[in-house]
Amino acid sequence: MSNEISLMIAIPLIGAVLAFLTRSRGLARIVALLASLAPLIISLQMYMGFDKSSKMMQYVESYDWVPSLGIKYTLGVDGIGMPLVLLSTIVSVLVIVYSWGENHRPNQFFALLLLNEVGVLGVFTALDFFLFYIFWEIVLIPMFFLIGIWGGPRKDYAAIKFFIYTHVASLVMLISIFALYFTYRTPEGLHTMDMLTLLQATSDTTIFPTALLNLIFLGLLLGFLVKMPAFPFHTWLPDAHVEAPTAGSVVLAALLLKMGGYGLFRVIMPMLPSVSDMFVTLLAVIGVISIVYGGFMALAQKDIKKLVAYSSVSHMGYVTLGAVALTTMSVQGAMFQQFSHGLITCVLFMSAGTIQHTVGTRIIADLGGLADRMPRFAFLMLAGFLASLGLPGMSGFVAEFLVLTGSYATMPYYVLFVIFAGIAVTAGYHLWAVQKVMFGPILKKYLDVHDAHSYELLSMSLLILLVILFGVQPGLITDMMGVAAQQLIYDPVMTLSQMGVI
Amino acid sequence: MYSDYAYLIVGLPVLAFVLTIFLGWHLPKGGGFFTVLATFGGFILSYGIFKEIYPNEILHQSMHWFANFNVGILIDPLALVMLLMVTFVCTLIHTYALGYMDGDHGMARYFAEAGLFTASMLGLIFSDNILQLFIFWELVGLCSYLLIGFWYRKPSAAAAAKKAFLVTRVGDVMFLAAIVLLYNNLASLNLTLPPGEYLLQFKVIYQNVAAIPPDQLTYIALLFFGGAVGKSGQFPLHVWLPDAMEGPTTVSAMIHAATMVTAGVYLVARLFPLFYAAPSALLIVAYVGGFTALFAATMGLTAFDIKRVLAFSTVSQLGYMMLALGAGAVVGAASVGVSIFHLIGHSFLKALLFLCAGSVIHAVNTNDMREMGGVGKYMKYTAMTMAAGGLALAGFPLTTGFFSKDEILVVAWEYGSATTDFIPYILGILGALLTAFYTFRLWFVTFTGEPRSDYHKHESPWIMLGPLMVLAFFALFFGLGAQEPFYHYLESNFEHYDVNFEALAAVGQHHIEEGEAAHEPFIIKILPIIVGVGGILLAILFYYPRFRKLDTRKFTTENDPIRRILLKGYYQHEIYTAWFAETVVYGIALLSNMVDIKIVDATLNKISETTVAFGGSLRKAQTGIIQNYILAIIFGVVVLVVLIKLWLEVSI
Repeated sequence: MSNEISLMIAIPLIGAVLAFLTRSRGLARIVALLASLAPLIISLQMYMGFDKSSKMMQYVESYDWVPSLGIKYTLGVDGIGMPLVLLSTIVSVLVIVYSWGENHRPNQFFALLLLNEVGVLGVFTALDFFLFYIFWEIVLIPMFFLIGIWGGPRKDYAAIKFFIYTHVASLVMLISIFALYFTYRTPEGLHTMDMLTLLQATSDTTIFPTALLNLIFLGLLLGFLVKMPAFPFHTWLPDAHVEAPTAGSVVLAALLLKMGGYGLFRVIMPMLPSVSDMFVTLLAVIGVISIVYGGFMALAQKDIKKLVAYSSVSHMGYVTLGAVALTTMSVQGAMFQQFSHGLITCVLFMSAGTIQHTVGTRIIADLGGLADRMPRFAFLMLAGFLASLGLPGMSGFVAEFLVLTGSYATMPYYVLFVIFAGIAVTAGYHLWAVQKVMFGPILKKYLDVHDAHSYELLSMSLLILLVILFGVQPGLITDMMGVAAQQLIYDPVMTLSQMGVI
Repeated sequence: MYSDYAYLIVGLPVLAFVLTIFLGWHLPKGGGFFTVLATFGGFILSYGIFKEIYPNEILHQSMHWFANFNVGILIDPLALVMLLMVTFVCTLIHTYALGYMDGDHGMARYFAEAGLFTASMLGLIFSDNILQLFIFWELVGLCSYLLIGFWYRKPSAAAAAKKAFLVTRVGDVMFLAAIVLLYNNLASLNLTLPPGEYLLQFKVIYQNVAAIPPDQLTYIALLFFGGAVGKSGQFPLHVWLPDAMEGPTTVSAMIHAATMVTAGVYLVARLFPLFYAAPSALLIVAYVGGFTALFAATMGLTAFDIKRVLAFSTVSQLGYMMLALGAGAVVGAASVGVSIFHLIGHSFLKALLFLCAGSVIHAVNTNDMREMGGVGKYMKYTAMTMAAGGLALAGFPLTTGFFSKDEILVVAWEYGSATTDFIPYILGILGALLTAFYTFRLWFVTFTGEPRSDYHKHESPWIMLGPLMVLAFFALFFGLGAQEPFYHYLESNFEHYDVNFEALAAVGQHHIEEGEAAHEPFIIKILPIIVGVGGILLAILFYYPRFRKLDTRKFTTENDPIRRILLKGYYQHEIYTAWFAETVVYGIALLSNMVDIKIVDATLNKISETTVAFGGSLRKAQTGIIQNYILAIIFGVVVLVVLIKLWLEVSI
């Protein structure tokens, strides 16, 4: 049995402990960098060795954990999980590079970033509901402290709101998981937490009557929609982002939101055929509203970080829409949107962060002409904003194009509404913000502002390069997503033993 | 052998972009020679390919990209003439820029962006599928955004750049919708494509449009046309084009002549079979084109900014190109040749006019014609070359513009006589009269008379004058030499794809005329000459000091409402920016924000408040007095026992 995934999760966990114990900033950040580089290398190796045409789970590990309760330690990746694992390891390294100059309690700061990586990697690879839930909750802890300790003026309110909101949603999800667990018995008459087995069983109406399954489904859905976040469960996001430190915002938007989207693909989509048809419409409406409403909300914001936060709501709407449109192309696009948004939003939040600590404010109206003093930073920020507004040649365009083209086949009017009401507005708020912040004459009070730090510029430029790489050559990652999408839509769920991988 | 390197047509300018952006800062003239050489290399390659495949072959290379899409190079007659024109004109403009931009400390950035601009346009032209064309289309938009805002410290430049991007984005949204519709319509035909062919390739589109339901075709065609309206500055999305003057003049020359606005016309020409098959799509193209031709010309009458006059004239001339394509409803694919011929002739003369204007501005240091006057005395070469461009634009007999515009008016007339709808033709004739008039108004006001301000009196350097001479030669003589072979070559364009125009005409409900088209009467033949020369004469009478017989003040005053409307550009800025963008769109945004705070988030807070309050009231039960707890426990036990008893009895 392979052990890549366990290793990939264990190293940052050990790194987090070591970083926490260090006494100096220099040591803490080096430990953090090494402990995040190792998972990156492992995940790249996994990517190289990944069979892109296979529908099977790969790199599977499975050990009994609590046999009496049917709980196992099962990990594995397929075309849904692999890209997100890659995204997590990439973003974790770059966010540590970006935070190189952090000097407020640096050992704890880097330890929390590593702990966060442990959580998200676990969520994207766990194939046992119990394990999945543990990782899902682990993620809350570092984020809560990142906001609560390194946050802005209203950090307490934001941290508590973030924690309670997403935690309540997680609890509802947990109830649904228990309902699945207690309703289903294996042929041997035992309960199991095995994710794929339970999901496969949901298609059997003798075990899960539709009325019961609808309720279970609703609970799971709530957990994921709050995390994404989708309208109308998005209000924790702007508050959390505004108060969170830059690194916190970056991992929040780039990785934590993706957990919700991942849940849609991993858990929600296999159940869709067995639940009420109404849910498809409901989700499509939620997706479309998130896209358009998020766009208009972004336009109304005065704080550039809030603007970016609402742009996330808007962009994650494409994930919901593409997932429930249920065509290979739309689902593939939705998965790619997760990956692409993860990269792009990092640049946006890093931009907002850099502006905050070089200039001291993020209020758009108070900024102006910064390109004059920060040309390199201006170039990268502009590139990030253009990527976010869907400029072709960058990954965001490919994702949104796939979602829209793919979704039109099954839900034409939703798609046309998004195109006409959403896309121009999206271009509008991005350009408006860049123009106000960067262009025009330099304001007198900013005459002695200097360009961003080299480590900030380094991580931003690497991200931009990736965004362009995946915009020009999306096949690198969309091929495996296409296989996964095909399987999600047309094939029934297969358990690990049916796949023959354990 | 040139065909094997076709990708370098785009590759070289991209390379120049990379080189200048990283090395240009340390090189003389910002490394601009990279861009010049790369563009010239593109011209050599295009010309080599032309030699290899003219007149009977096309070049097509394609490879899989991702999912159901490919990337590919398609060089057919339509693409080839465009490639030649763009590389040729851009080489001249970049050369000129070496002189014009000299001394600007952002020169490296300028040449990097100019290189990318050229590359995007060339990539747009030789795309073999509509998705790839759209990608380059957007990159063209991006580069125009960067270049219009080149002097980003100027608020007006930054605003103009944003406006250009957003207004063309409105068109791009429609373009995107068109692709989504087209793809899904083609996909629902369930075609079995041979390996190497993809749904969005032009070849596949041409051969299958007839199978798409006609109402869907009309939507698709009109949405594509919406994209073209945005990019090619047609009414009502032309508002960005006059503002785009905020960039350096060489950028205006590129945008107006070679690289950007022609993309919309090219798109309609490229998809001509689709437009032809879509009922009433070409009618709308003809009307929008004809209306824009006249509408923009009226605004050209009153503008004082030398570049704005030229900008309005570009809008107007693009209207003629669209009008020609629209007339294709009657004359068929021949209209593509007519339209593209005007496009190419226009790109020579408009590049020339802009570069001349740049030369004047370079010396005089103002855009305002009211501060010029008598410039011709000091800038003989500039004045002469600009006169050549002006004659060509006005359609003076035997110049390039004469041949190309005359032919457009002829097809417009044929359209009229076949459909008894002469409105596009009348719009075109009126526009031609105004064109001649405002062009020479500009020339006389600038170059003749007495200096009206104290400006630098010197001619531009030779690196700027050289390109002007070359362009002047083409503006004057290209039409005379190239017209007939050009039409023949472009007429063969769709033959390479076995497009069945008769089947398309049946879908599009066009009548194909039998035999020779009716000969136009003599008056129709000479009318273009009359309005062209007449407009010039009228301008002489008003504005040439030596022959001045008429005074504008007799016809109009400062407070003349028509004059005010024209000066204000029909109040479109007020309607689009102040009303639509700032009131409607931003209003919706503020409303959403209020909903978010007052309803969505307030509901959440209400829930949490209620929870806390509920918890608070429960807390009161925790009195801390042992007796109370014991009482509660006893009470609870009793209730439980009773319940269990009851349950047992019921279940037995």
